[in-house]
Amino acid sequence: MKYSYYPGCSLESTSVEYDISTREVFKAFDLTLEEIPDWNCCGASSAHSESYLLSLALPARDLAKAEDIESTVVAPCPSCYQNLKRVKEYVEKSIENRDRINKALEGTGLKVEGKVAVKHPLDILINELGLEKLAEKIKVPLEGLRVVTYYGCMIIRPDGSYTFDDMENPMTMDRITLTLGASVLPFTRKTRCCGGPVMVNNEETALRLSYDILKEAKEADAQAIIVACPLCHLSLDAKQPLIEKKYGDKVNLPIIYFTQLIGLALGIPEERLGFDKLIIDASGITAKYKPKKKKSNKKKTTAKAKSITTH
Amino acid sequence: MEDSYNKTAINGLDPKFKFEVIQAGGEGLSACYQCGTCTGGCPSVEDMDYTPRQIIRMVSFGMREKVLNATAPFICASCYLCQMRCPRDVKITDIMAAIKSISIKYSNSSGNTRGQAFYTSFNEIVYNLGRLFEPMLMLKATFRSKESFGYKIKYLTKSVPLGIEFIKHRKFSMKPKKVESIEEVQKIYENVRKMEAKE
Repeated sequence: MKYSYYPGCSLESTSVEYDISTREVFKAFDLTLEEIPDWNCCGASSAHSESYLLSLALPARDLAKAEDIESTVVAPCPSCYQNLKRVKEYVEKSIENRDRINKALEGTGLKVEGKVAVKHPLDILINELGLEKLAEKIKVPLEGLRVVTYYGCMIIRPDGSYTFDDMENPMTMDRITLTLGASVLPFTRKTRCCGGPVMVNNEETALRLSYDILKEAKEADAQAIIVACPLCHLSLDAKQPLIEKKYGDKVNLPIIYFTQLIGLALGIPEERLGFDKLIIDASGITAKYKPKKKKSNKKKTTAKAKSITTH
Repeated sequence: MEDSYNKTAINGLDPKFKFEVIQAGGEGLSACYQCGTCTGGCPSVEDMDYTPRQIIRMVSFGMREKVLNATAPFICASCYLCQMRCPRDVKITDIMAAIKSISIKYSNSSGNTRGQAFYTSFNEIVYNLGRLFEPMLMLKATFRSKESFGYKIKYLTKSVPLGIEFIKHRKFSMKPKKVESIEEVQKIYENVRKMEAKE
């Protein structure tokens, strides 16, 4: 299976570990990611603050380039994912909309039709690859690991015509984590905002929201928080020392991307998953689940995955 | 149509303001029946001067100056919780963004210089590079804001340990990446600005 890949700006700087681990995991399942050539920023939540049309026209250039490759676009960053999905849905809605966007693209030699699908890696892994295939490849079951899953806002919101998970209580990341053998603890702040987008212009709010999430995870006795968003990761991981200082509370909780966690269970060496890039040290976890030389646990994990899919 | 609207303008209210917001992407505004579900779920409401429900009502009433000077739209973290839960399908988060864009356009939101500086810097970087370079955004936004020099220095000093961590973990190269056909991205910005001036 071949996909167009849109990494986005964060994945080539502050969250480079999300990029490399996504590529590694897809490669492990023979899913090819072809990067959209010369892609540009999707506009995040800031383009709309200059103009609504701009927030549609910027990702339209990327979508138009993906249409040349003619395959589903995979965007790991939830903000990029939403923006690409939004322009696709806007263009599909009416001919007037399509013409308006193409007018904004005039002079670039590109045209957008809205014919390629835009998907998140979670969606691909659950609905296209499937948990059974995922379970087959597990070499190091993450037994004994207690985590909470934190989805953030953007993966499943806002409600467009296409969503792959429940908007109030998403489960995709939970199901993947359970398949890997780890246990997922109850967590009420799964989709509560981390404050990331206002980190620069309203730090007070941002730090408070991030601390609420860290505190609940800590109280739930989690060993790590599993995330799927670069901005959530930055707020919870890189800003954690600052939060600890502000609230006088030693949190010390590793924040791990779900792709890194999958990679760990697949037996991919930690340096190829970017664990060294995490600000809050996760070596306590990676040391425990190092790939073993022989022994295969195949049968056991497949049985486990089956019970989860029916659940 | 326009004339009858002008006649209803009283007490400095601007009856056309709501159309300005709708035009800027604030869909569903008039469907709001003031239930307050948006405010009830909002994670950052306690730091806002007006609640999301109030902002929607103020826009419908045409309280242009008050709305454009409010801090609420800039405190909104764009988490879309309100928009998802709204029983009337009001695009509340998009309305907040629309207000921000109008406020930046007229640059009259005195209390929100940090917010304005952030979004203006973001678009400046994307216009010039085609991609966002996060350290540059932080520096630009801080220096552009009308905060006191002391505040800027304090803010940047506080961010130094984080910068050191990033470098230590080799999170990014010091050289920003640039889109090769940058003229295409700039063309899009120019097209949009031209189209919006006409509309």
